[in-house]
Amino acid sequence: MAGWKSLKDMTVLSKPLPRLDGPDKVAGQAKYTHDMHPKGLLYAGLLVSPHPAARVVKIDASKVRRLPGVKAVLTDVHPTGTVRYAGEEIAAVAATSPEVLEDALELFEVEYETLPFVADIDSAMQENAPRVFANRPNIRDPRVRGEGDVDAGFARADAVVEGEYRTQVQTHSTLETHGSMVYWEGDELVIYDSTQAVHGVREGVAKFLDMPVNKVRVVCKHMGAGFGSKLQPGRYTAIAARLAKETGAPVKLMLTRKQDFLGGGNRPNSISHVKLAATKDGKLTAFYAKTYGTAGIGTNAGIRLPFIYTIPNWKHEHYDVFTNAGPARAFRAPGCPQASFVMEQLMDELAEKLNMDPLEFRLKNDSNATRQKEWRLGAKKFGWQRRHKKPGADTGRYKRGMGLAASIWWPGGRGTKATMTIYPDGTLDVKCGTQDIGTGTRTYMAMVAAEELDIPMKRIRPMLGDSNFPKSGASGGSTTTPSVGPAIKNTSERAKTKLMDLAAQFLGVPATDLAWDSGTVYMKTNPVKKLTWDELCQLLGTETLEVHGQWVEGLSSRGVAGCQFAEVTVDTWTGQIQVNKIVAVADCGLILNRLTTESQVNGAILQGISYALLEERHMDPETGTMVNANYGDYKILGAKETPAIEVIFYDEPERGVIGIGEPPTIPTNAAIANAVYNATGVRMYELPMTPDRVLTALEAHQFAGKED
Amino acid sequence: MPPTIQFILNDRTISTDIPTGLLVLDFLRKYLHLHGTKEGCKEGDCGACTVLVGELRGRKVEYLPVTSCLMPVGELHGKHLVTIEGLNLPQLNPAQEAIVEEGATQCGFCTPGIVVSMTGYLMQADGPVTADGIKMALSGHLCRCTGYRSLKQSWMYLQQRPGQRRGIEALVKAGILPEYFLEIPKRLRAIPPLPEKAPSPQVVIAGGTDLYVQQGERLPDIPVGVLNLRPELRGIQRENGHLRVGALTTFEEFAAHAEVRRLVPDIDQYMALIASWQIRNRATLGGNIVNASPIADMTILLLALNATLVLQNGSAQREVPLAEFYRGYKTLDKQPDELVYDILIPLPPPGTKINWEKVSKRKYLDIASVNSAIAVRVEDGHIAEATLAMGGVAPVPLLMRRTGAFLIGKPLAPDTVTGAIEVAQQEISPISDIRGSADYKRLLTRQLTIAHFCKLFPEQIKARDVYESQ
Ligand SMILES: Cc1cc2nc3c(=O)[nH]c(=O)nc-3n(C[C@H](O)[C@H](O)[C@H](O)COP(=O)(O)OP(=O)(O)OC[C@H]3O[C@@H](n4cnc5c(N)ncnc54)[C@H](O)[C@@H]3O)c2cc1C
Ligand code: FES
Ligand code: FES
Repeated sequence: MAGWKSLKDMTVLSKPLPRLDGPDKVAGQAKYTHDMHPKGLLYAGLLVSPHPAARVVKIDASKVRRLPGVKAVLTDVHPTGTVRYAGEEIAAVAATSPEVLEDALELFEVEYETLPFVADIDSAMQENAPRVFANRPNIRDPRVRGEGDVDAGFARADAVVEGEYRTQVQTHSTLETHGSMVYWEGDELVIYDSTQAVHGVREGVAKFLDMPVNKVRVVCKHMGAGFGSKLQPGRYTAIAARLAKETGAPVKLMLTRKQDFLGGGNRPNSISHVKLAATKDGKLTAFYAKTYGTAGIGTNAGIRLPFIYTIPNWKHEHYDVFTNAGPARAFRAPGCPQASFVMEQLMDELAEKLNMDPLEFRLKNDSNATRQKEWRLGAKKFGWQRRHKKPGADTGRYKRGMGLAASIWWPGGRGTKATMTIYPDGTLDVKCGTQDIGTGTRTYMAMVAAEELDIPMKRIRPMLGDSNFPKSGASGGSTTTPSVGPAIKNTSERAKTKLMDLAAQFLGVPATDLAWDSGTVYMKTNPVKKLTWDELCQLLGTETLEVHGQWVEGLSSRGVAGCQFAEVTVDTWTGQIQVNKIVAVADCGLILNRLTTESQVNGAILQGISYALLEERHMDPETGTMVNANYGDYKILGAKETPAIEVIFYDEPERGVIGIGEPPTIPTNAAIANAVYNATGVRMYELPMTPDRVLTALEAHQFAGKED
Repeated sequence: MPPTIQFILNDRTISTDIPTGLLVLDFLRKYLHLHGTKEGCKEGDCGACTVLVGELRGRKVEYLPVTSCLMPVGELHGKHLVTIEGLNLPQLNPAQEAIVEEGATQCGFCTPGIVVSMTGYLMQADGPVTADGIKMALSGHLCRCTGYRSLKQSWMYLQQRPGQRRGIEALVKAGILPEYFLEIPKRLRAIPPLPEKAPSPQVVIAGGTDLYVQQGERLPDIPVGVLNLRPELRGIQRENGHLRVGALTTFEEFAAHAEVRRLVPDIDQYMALIASWQIRNRATLGGNIVNASPIADMTILLLALNATLVLQNGSAQREVPLAEFYRGYKTLDKQPDELVYDILIPLPPPGTKINWEKVSKRKYLDIASVNSAIAVRVEDGHIAEATLAMGGVAPVPLLMRRTGAFLIGKPLAPDTVTGAIEVAQQEISPISDIRGSADYKRLLTRQLTIAHFCKLFPEQIKARDVYESQ
């Protein structure tokens, strides 16, 4: 098994190539689940609970059923009848038009017995708080991790910092909501789904509906983003399938924007009580953290502390807390942006106490060799030496500051299968049951095959987003590219071997006498004896050549390190933060497509800024429901606030393909928070750093707006 | 029976009697199955549904991007509706090409809307492509994937292309717009006006940017009056001593008018903080006033400008000072059948200075936590006139009468500002809500008052001195 070519030999891979589906997307021709409209389509919708905790006593759908245009009604979609968050599915209906559907949803008469609830983590943690699950306390047993002797570590330290940090609940807010369009062909179910996992949805829905996996097909050619919220099979898909079965018609069920906010997933919040210590020469000696987080009615609200640092003595107790809110789902680098907010600010606080430059302090405590180089590289590009030594040094209304923070990520490639079909006319299909969630999978599938076989991209048709194609995992954890890239390479190599065998037969020589170069097979001893790609493919006659391949070790690797530097301006009159510049050093292994990779990093940074400054789910303590479940009130960063972004790729092609999508969103918030401190001398202990929080903090330090 | 309306959709003429209040977006996606126009929020906030609407202005058709999710179909009569499908050519247009080449699309769900806005920007016959122009074109779009950086970079790419921002013909010639655009003026002129009939609408729609957000589901089912079919409600004239502004004047039209620019020199800076390009192309002053949101941006400005409303009912007209129009939270001195017809803005005496401030969570495309406007005139170092308005601090957009009265006659000095802040704190009654706590709004009231004076009188008033005099 050969490795990747060296960078300098690559003619297609690692280049910045525009995505193949770009032209369809800019022309509005790319079809999303939301756009599917087969003949006879019925529009389905969900009735969701307005109450955060309730028993459904009775659902009277008689008026719904009598409404002309209503074709099917389901009143048994909730598995238990006990609602635990506002937004849970109670009933569903399929109708002939969107208007009828809207009217129908108004006609349900549901009797609820409302129950006491806890809308947020603070109320859930109170003594005698209502329980989310009757038989379990709201605060789960802790997960305790650590090593060494924490007490001893603190005892021998020269400086200690401690504090409480809080981060918010963030929702994925993908532009296309969750949803499916489904129909039956006999006893086979076809699902168009806005998903990050065609195979996962197939298996999940088969289980929901208790049917054989091979009778379910899931298709997703284009989808309006996921960020982790679309890794799972949705209950809505199974509901749509039942409605379709009952009516014998295709059914489309898309969540409304509000339903998507309430139940479509989120990043858990965190409350961290932390303590960090070091010796006076800047070596970390001990770390202690007690953290809480809520994943709503779900679990896994953990925070990855102590983040990137190697500390001889540390202990972390984490408690998941149940609340009556929609369950969390994986969200771009789960557990990490929270951890960077806490740890990277704590590191800065300690550095200040030790009278040390934050960068120097990190270099002393970061054991990752790659990041050691990245810190220096980034600092130089960014101009770290221009940073104010004294926080709040700028005079005047606007104050500038600089900060930095690190990123980390773990997973790499994993099992993925692919098939290649070569046609006698020299064209070929590459099929893989992965999906392109906007990351450019389709494009690099063709690029890898083109590079390996030395043929033009336009001859290759990359095919994905179909569970009939060979199995690949969910597009999550930044695993897709390190999985799919190697699988396509492996398949291409096997195709090459098969074609060489064919050539050997034709030329009457042993295959070992042949070599492959620039899409041509020739005899090593007599290079004029050769077959071009076209001639090779013609040897197939009327047959096609089918080749199967898969992900193999050695073409991808695990582990990502990176860092970011931020420069901000704080308006001390209003508390508004403007991010001026981000320099990101992204650890990238072998880059398959520089353009789409850079786009990933840009997007991750933007999400990081948005998380740092704006995004926050607000739960109403009175009603227990999300008050800002719309784009008007749930603010997301826009084009005008986008700073200058400089992405520096720290190429390590020898490591093969690694995942890049998640890590660059991790450090942004912390780099900004540290920069805000450097600008103002006021530390922000809570995310997001909205103008009200910043202005209130400045005011508490007595200098809001005191300078012109 | 709704009237049959006629308009051109891309290159085809449409006659339809579908309900007047139906959303253009629903009409496109659900009736015509033109799926290139996407639906992201149906509240005007994401821009995925952006289309161009072309309207005859003299011999030409002028195009503006708008959010189709907030616009009634009834208003399209006699207009040209352009969707992404209507912009497509055999080759990509430069906006499309820039997005593909710069890698500015990922999942692509936001992309068609962005292409429409960028093309709409190229169609404005007004100078070369600039970075700021592209930013404005992007101001109403959410993209959750790309990070906008590559989108913003596209301006350099576009700048190098000929034929742009020099009008429709130049764009058609340069192969940037389809040829059928050339025939549109003629085809639109051929559409007869709708017959005048006395409608008895339950609701009147102006720009629809508040109405559809608040009651979008209801409007297609009830008789609605589409004010935009009444051109007499638009336009700005200077008359003796005041500007007469038609209630249907949009934010963009208002800000572009020479008289307004003379009166409020910094209006462009204010506009950048109000809504998005698409929304400002639709949102009207009348709608902003009648919607009666306590933080309505234009209303706050108009309060400081001492505006008076002309209300009309049938042939009866009466005038009400804007400050007296608000009786309580969303209650107005207005009969159900009365229309706001004109807004009269008195031209202030020379030397009057105007400033407007807004703080919101997101700086752009967000509703204010607190906003404020002031008109002041200083004579011989003393404040001769002062009108201060504050939004977000009371149940109504608030004219700060007592604070204004306090200021008059006082020397222009830091402790006057401090005194004004004290009076202002008595005059406001903010509540805690999603835009901030009551305390925060009080803090902003102080900050914005200081900001007004520091900005208008940088020599005389320094923030530091105001604090020291506290
Ligand atoms: C995404 C988005 C962003 C926004 N950002 C801002 C912002 O930054 N600042 C801000 O102030 N507002 C903002 N708004 C709110 C809105 O755009 C404005 O309030 C706008 O001025 C409303 O005008 P309209 O013409 O769209 O009103 P409509 O929605 O058409 O009407 C509003 C109300 O006024 C009535 N009405 C309208 N015209 C008349 C008339 N002439 N006579 C009698 N009644 C009338 C209608 O019946 C209705 O009750 C935003 C809205 C959206 C969707
Ligand atoms: S759908 Fe979001 S702005 Fe219209
Ligand atoms: S590309 Fe996905 S939202 Fe813009």
